[in-house]
Amino acid sequence: MIRFFMLLVCMSVIHVSLHSQVGYQLSGTVKTEDNSPLTGAVIYLYPIEKGSITDASGKFSLSHLPAGQYRIEVSFIGYKTFTDTISIKGDQTFNIQLEVSSLSLQEVVVKDNYAEQRKREESLNIEVVNDDYLKMNMGGSLMNSLERLPGVSTIDIGSGQSKPVIRGLGFNRVVVVENNIKHEAQQWGADHGLEIDQFAVENIEVIKGPASLMYGSDAIGGIINIKNNKIPTPNTLRGNVDIIGKSNNSLIGSSLSLTGRKSWLHASLRATVLSYGDYRVPADSVVIFPDSYSYKVNLHNKQMRNTAGYEHNYHGTIGIVKDHFQSRIMASQINSKGGFFANAHGLEPRQVDSELHDQSSRDILLPYYQVSHFKIANKTKWRKDQLEIQFDGGFQRNFRQEWSQYSSHGYMPPVFPDTLPFSSELEREFKKDYYSANLNVKYTVNDQLTLTTGLNTEYHINDIDGRGFIIPAYKRSNIGAFLLLKYALSDESALQAGVRYDYGHISIDQYKDWYLSPVIEGNDTTYHYLERASETERDFSNFSWSAGYNYNPSNWIFKVNAGKSFRMPTAQELAANGINYHYFRYEVGDADLSPEVSWQLDAGVEYAEPLFAVGASPFLNYFSNYIYLNPTSEFNQGYQVFYYNQSRVLRYGGEIHAHYQLFNALTLGIIGEYVYSRQLSGEKEGYTLPFSPPASAIINLKYRKDILGFAQNAYFSVDYRLTAAQNEVVPPEDPTPGYTLVNIGLGGDIRFKSQTLSVNMQVQNLFNKAYLNHTSYYRLMSIPEQGRNIVLNVSIPFSTHLK
Amino acid sequence: MKIIIFKCIIIFAAIMVLFSCDSDTEIDKEKPVIHTDFINAFPTSCETIYFGETFNLRALFSDNAELGAYSIEIHNNFDHHSHGHNIEACDLAPKKEPVNPFVFLEDYDIPEGQNEYEVNLPISIPSENGEGLFDEGDYHFQIYLTDKEGWSTPLGLSVKMLYRED
Repeated sequence: MIRFFMLLVCMSVIHVSLHSQVGYQLSGTVKTEDNSPLTGAVIYLYPIEKGSITDASGKFSLSHLPAGQYRIEVSFIGYKTFTDTISIKGDQTFNIQLEVSSLSLQEVVVKDNYAEQRKREESLNIEVVNDDYLKMNMGGSLMNSLERLPGVSTIDIGSGQSKPVIRGLGFNRVVVVENNIKHEAQQWGADHGLEIDQFAVENIEVIKGPASLMYGSDAIGGIINIKNNKIPTPNTLRGNVDIIGKSNNSLIGSSLSLTGRKSWLHASLRATVLSYGDYRVPADSVVIFPDSYSYKVNLHNKQMRNTAGYEHNYHGTIGIVKDHFQSRIMASQINSKGGFFANAHGLEPRQVDSELHDQSSRDILLPYYQVSHFKIANKTKWRKDQLEIQFDGGFQRNFRQEWSQYSSHGYMPPVFPDTLPFSSELEREFKKDYYSANLNVKYTVNDQLTLTTGLNTEYHINDIDGRGFIIPAYKRSNIGAFLLLKYALSDESALQAGVRYDYGHISIDQYKDWYLSPVIEGNDTTYHYLERASETERDFSNFSWSAGYNYNPSNWIFKVNAGKSFRMPTAQELAANGINYHYFRYEVGDADLSPEVSWQLDAGVEYAEPLFAVGASPFLNYFSNYIYLNPTSEFNQGYQVFYYNQSRVLRYGGEIHAHYQLFNALTLGIIGEYVYSRQLSGEKEGYTLPFSPPASAIINLKYRKDILGFAQNAYFSVDYRLTAAQNEVVPPEDPTPGYTLVNIGLGGDIRFKSQTLSVNMQVQNLFNKAYLNHTSYYRLMSIPEQGRNIVLNVSIPFSTHLK
Repeated sequence: MKIIIFKCIIIFAAIMVLFSCDSDTEIDKEKPVIHTDFINAFPTSCETIYFGETFNLRALFSDNAELGAYSIEIHNNFDHHSHGHNIEACDLAPKKEPVNPFVFLEDYDIPEGQNEYEVNLPISIPSENGEGLFDEGDYHFQIYLTDKEGWSTPLGLSVKMLYRED
């Protein structure tokens, strides 16, 4: 309201200052990065203080201008103010593109107009953050940095790897989308991270709720939608140098980006290098599996032996922007290597040569993983009048290797034979190629009705190698089509509804052990290469839908959405039949599993005033056939047997947030999240689901000043995080005690002459507390999380105009 | 319109309250226990097992509800990989390369409906296999126990496996 009022004031001021004068005319159009016209943008010329406002098609004109040098300033709320010098010698046109402002999303309150707008138009609950937010909250990985958002948690391994969990659902139940293309890797693994460079992220939307409608299979829990496809302002060259350091694992790193645009052609480059040592826990020793093996490991300098790693990431983009057409090609290569805690092999504690490991905290010895993720994608958009057609196509190759010392288990030969086609130390290798092509057609019928229809196709080829077997090789193809309708009932309310149909086929290869096992029948013992996955072919189809309603009267946002989404079973859920020597259990798949189907009801209510805001987003979710790896009392070949079962599951919960501006610059905020899950049928009726995040809350106090001494946008913030105990467990999980943590953050922009430095500092786990995170991989072995960690991030932007 | 929204939210809240009031079914959250702390327990840590002989596994299993099954696994520890807790207490022979190590993997049932079970199981260790005599030395003797609900408990013991010298 206040902003609108200010805009009115601006407009009247500008109106008054327009006088008639003979001279030249300056006209042009103001557009957003994706070329849609901006209505109501303010154009102002200095020093004559003449201005104008763009009309419905983004056009403006200023007449009677005397020849000369002017400074032009174009501004619009939610966008970065554009300034430039122009010399007027005759009538001329000047077109401007405004970038979405990187005004940060405040701790609890959404200050960014773009985020606000997305919240208002989306009937599912959504969190929107930008790169500034990531810098203020930078964790060991992208997902760690987002963990603070209500409803978002992570499954972590070590200090640099984590994967997303939305309201308790993770793995293959959350889809990560980068620039409209699904990020495809080995999502099923608890000890695999997400291969995304967090420095390259410009904007992220977290959609909480069933999103199969737009993205097909797997989007049951929600979507992490990553965008790094801003179109640069014409005739500029800009760049950024980021330098980062972390005390806990002695991380040093930097990221350099360069983005330029010459009229219709633009290009960008980015390189990120990170290197870190073993991370520290607040303990001199850890006891792995305290109530069974009770294996004590003494730590050298409180360091988790062999958890060092590095990341080398490269990105490149080239694109064209025309009036009705834009196209770009984006390529990226993410490389990372990191050690696994040496005193455990999978979930088995091991004694190692401590002296060798403790020589250096930065070396990466066995066991370690090495991942490279290559991605190339094209995005092409054509737009004319009411019609918009967009194509997104791409190829990805995820290549992951896990190396460890050979150790014979079960009937494996005591000494590794040299006749095998893979190295004795290659435990697992996964190579996944993923091709995808999506076509979207959007037709704006009138001011009220918009229709979007789309076709998504994808093809996966997953190959495996190495001595350890977890998932079989497979090929999978999917095709899906959807129709989505948005209807504005009034300026304040809108309906959206959509339907989708998917068809998928999976073809799983047979896998046999590379070693012989004895099979005893009667008195005869024969030796066989046992089959661990059988050749399996399955077809799946699913009809999904979603319907929602938003009502946004002045200070309120109300939303309600109902939807059905689904997930195709994975290869190991369908075909596994053997010992998983990572978890030391015998896993049995079921070739007859049906696609997992979930129904969800979501609601959202938010009330915001300039000084006060409060909101809640509850959900209710029902699975008719949740796929679950059920531990039984049976044994096979010495190991406990786990079957993939399906059971009915009920889940509900939600998030709340509120903030209140105590004084001018001081804001108090609270965020809380809670999820309850229960299996309603099957062998584990009455139990929860694995990896259920405990209830948690953050109480935040933030001091913020636009100008504080020599710093601009200065902030100081304290987070008091409370996490409840998780006593709702299902075998083989252990209950996890609750804990509280204090994190602080401070930063601001410092100006040296014409150069700005943006500095963000955090102290995570200020009191160096030893605690267990229920959803961390190392939690399974009772290993505490990282101790105190000071994170410093300095960002140096630079830019110049291209003549 | 506002009223409809409020109604929706109230219904929603009512459903949630309804479900949360539903009384929790009593579920088992306790793991079974392997006891080897009684006089006749065998093997215990650092015990010797002889090739070509039969010994009786003696242990006591218990669970708060109902026991499931158990398995026994024996594998060599010639590389001192040590995942038991009593490992430092035993005298380990120097590290060596396995040639023909002994491997034992067997699964056993526990009669239905037991919450306590005393194992007295004869286990015959062969004196050789097709490759000849087994490697003597340090071995791990692992017992895995489950209960009916799928909770499991491992117990790892360090033992010596030798040929008896007459």
